[in-house]
Amino acid sequence: MILPIGPIHPALKEPIRLKLQTEGEKVVKAEVEYGYVHRGIEKIIEGQTWQRGIYLSERVCGICSYEHTQTFAETIEKICGVIAPPRAQFLRVITNELDRIQSHFLANSTFFKSLDHETLFMQVLELREYAMDSIELLTGNRVNMGWNVVGGVRMDADERHFKPILENLKKIEEGFERTREIFAEGPALALRCKDVGVMTKKEAIKGRAVGPIGRGSGIKHDYREDHHTYQDYFDFKPIWRKEGDNYARTLNRFDEIPESISLIRQAIENIPKGNIRIPVELKSGYAQWRNEAPRGEVTYMIETNGNLIKHITIRTPSIPNIDSCAKYMIPGVPSVADAVSTYASSDPCIACAERVAITDEHGKTTLKKYGEVM
Amino acid sequence: MLDSIKDIVRKSSIHVCIVNCGGCNGCDVECVALLSPRYDLEQYGIYVHNNPREADVLLLTGAVTEQWTTNLKRIYDKAPEPKIVVAIGNCPQSGDVFNQEGGHVYAPASNFIPVDAAVPGCPPRPSEILEAILAVGPQAIADRGREEK
Amino acid sequence: MSSLIWYIYDFARKAWADAFTNAKSLPELAEKPERFRNFPQVNKEYCIGCGACTVSCPSPNAIKIIREKDDETGEGLTYPVIYPGACIRCGFCAEVCPTDPKTLECGENHLIMPEFNIIPSKRQYIVDDYLCIKCKKCMKKCPVGAISLVNDKLHVDQLNCIACGDCIEVCPVNGAMKGVFVENLYDQKELILLTVNYLEDYINSKEEDLRSLEKDSLLQYDIPLDDFFDEALKIIPDEEVSFEIISNAVNRLKIRIIDWDSDNCKKCQLCVGECPTGCISFDEDKDTIVREKDRCLRCSICYQTCPFSVIKYFIAKFSLEDDRIIHTTVKASNLNEEILME
Repeated sequence: MILPIGPIHPALKEPIRLKLQTEGEKVVKAEVEYGYVHRGIEKIIEGQTWQRGIYLSERVCGICSYEHTQTFAETIEKICGVIAPPRAQFLRVITNELDRIQSHFLANSTFFKSLDHETLFMQVLELREYAMDSIELLTGNRVNMGWNVVGGVRMDADERHFKPILENLKKIEEGFERTREIFAEGPALALRCKDVGVMTKKEAIKGRAVGPIGRGSGIKHDYREDHHTYQDYFDFKPIWRKEGDNYARTLNRFDEIPESISLIRQAIENIPKGNIRIPVELKSGYAQWRNEAPRGEVTYMIETNGNLIKHITIRTPSIPNIDSCAKYMIPGVPSVADAVSTYASSDPCIACAERVAITDEHGKTTLKKYGEVM
Repeated sequence: MLDSIKDIVRKSSIHVCIVNCGGCNGCDVECVALLSPRYDLEQYGIYVHNNPREADVLLLTGAVTEQWTTNLKRIYDKAPEPKIVVAIGNCPQSGDVFNQEGGHVYAPASNFIPVDAAVPGCPPRPSEILEAILAVGPQAIADRGREEK
Repeated sequence: MSSLIWYIYDFARKAWADAFTNAKSLPELAEKPERFRNFPQVNKEYCIGCGACTVSCPSPNAIKIIREKDDETGEGLTYPVIYPGACIRCGFCAEVCPTDPKTLECGENHLIMPEFNIIPSKRQYIVDDYLCIKCKKCMKKCPVGAISLVNDKLHVDQLNCIACGDCIEVCPVNGAMKGVFVENLYDQKELILLTVNYLEDYINSKEEDLRSLEKDSLLQYDIPLDDFFDEALKIIPDEEVSFEIISNAVNRLKIRIIDWDSDNCKKCQLCVGECPTGCISFDEDKDTIVREKDRCLRCSICYQTCPFSVIKYFIAKFSLEDDRIIHTTVKASNLNEEILME
């Protein structure tokens, strides 16, 4: 039988419809129906000036909103042929890693909630609040930060910001050890996680899985390795695992958090003095830029005409991840409850995913995924 | 007698359903942050359970997208009486940044269902959401219960 | 079984006891930090009414500039009003506000420096050197001092310009200061083409008037703009912008019109050979002369060649004011006479 889940359902945070084809308890096929949160954000940004565009690109996704502004700013900096001053780059790294910490904690807490493990859900959310505090302290807002601008960042930071951030990081580390241990060694959790929702490396490449989902299946690549700031100033190595099940994906996200904390420590220790923003003279042109968002690679393709954005295409990591989740992870899971937790382990963000709509000649609007349009 | 007992009970046990009708996810994340031990929504007798069938409060986030123009009313009808709707964030109130040329939204949400309270902000802080729910929630539910009879 | 033992072991480690005894809710955790950007504060008395905040705001309904009524104490204040239901608390309006001290304040903005006050306007202000009389009225009027004298020419500094449009209002020469729309050049081209085509077709449709027109007399028409304004709005949806583009184009427009009386044509085919673009051809099947409108240059050679005065040549001029009616004047060309005089 076909079992529909969603769009509003106790198991889901965001509106999406999962159609599960079941044989007895076993799920044999899954299908994802998009289209509930399509707002046309790319079309809104087109024709706007870039100064406004950077605040609009923040509204593509509320969880990884920071990475979108950074990618937008760096794309336009590439068009203009400038690079932000080193102090701004360091401040960007600090915010970026704080954002990654809170996003990974949120993704894991959602996974634990889908397993009905309330204890871990609460503990992880409590740790996340420290990261949110640091973000609010540094940038002035919790979610949509308005922190980046083309050519640098908006506000400087000094000791009175760095000290509380380091204290918060220490608090995160204290709680983190135990939380990770409960998950990694708890036998009841292992029964629900290990060998459930397995995606092999071959399938991950076929489904174009990126970010922690791809790295949980053995793809050893992190786009931070290709970024000039990380290459020049930071000591960093990507985390990956080869099992490819729910356990590996969740643990991979957990293990990336100490790496992020160490990056923030390095940044605060070695932060250079100087400007935090340079004036940029706008040029017309086209550029493409990639960055590693908490969920994987995010690509911006922007064409500008003087002060205005002529065309913009955004590729977010959620689409290949949700797609490979429905194609390779969910088929074969032992029960419907496991299908929901597998879906949660792929860290879906629907607000990221829905941007393209196609209207046919009869006036009927259908929503398409990125790959189908190109 | 029975009514007053019902009022007291209703005040201290509120079931909440979050309805995301097309936003950027920021407000939903802040609603999840409310569950954390820091803010601890459940100590006020509020339980977040995304099921409209047993909800007393619908937390509405997001500008209304095309799919939700018909479905929003259906969800509202499914929630049992008495019920109140709290609009979280700017999107249900004015459409926020999406309500401009090129956008695909049908804000405000009050065109489709009655909205009792609104929390401005993009997104509002969890403490602001908490204040709003506590200020409007229990009393409104008790009042609605009386109106019914 | 093993799981039970593990949980008993975990419980016995007593990590929970510390957490339980230390549990307390701190009121300062819900407090806003120093840098928190709340909704912008408005200081009414400093506002110069330039509108930079409304132009810069990413949210379309957040800021409105209102003007109080005048009373006996003086003119009413003009100031922005923030609607919290649409404000996204980005603080960009406070960053671009050009007044000193600031009209709008929002959180802690370190970088409110003049070199970053780039107002995102869709209009670019340019001085036309050829028309400018260098009266420097705009220089005095500019509220932010963006206009300066460089090499004896007035120059608008695009980084400082707040796009308020005051300079256009004070400029005594029509057209010396220009507010150009830079973003939709192709659409503007299409719009002008639509206008020209419509006007030409309209005049061509008045065949009888044209053919009975005597020399040295004028034909006058009043063409309402609304006849084709709906179509214009399909190209550029903004009513104000399209009206400005059309009126700019129409006021400078001069169309040459060729009227072809094909009933009286003797089919001598003299014009076919003379046409420089080859747009005139002889259709043998239908036994008529055919002129392709799109390739025609309106050079008047056919008119000068025709021995039977079948082809006639007119010049039309237009003017469009705020009454939305295009006043049209059509005059017969006196080209032949000039040639004869010589």
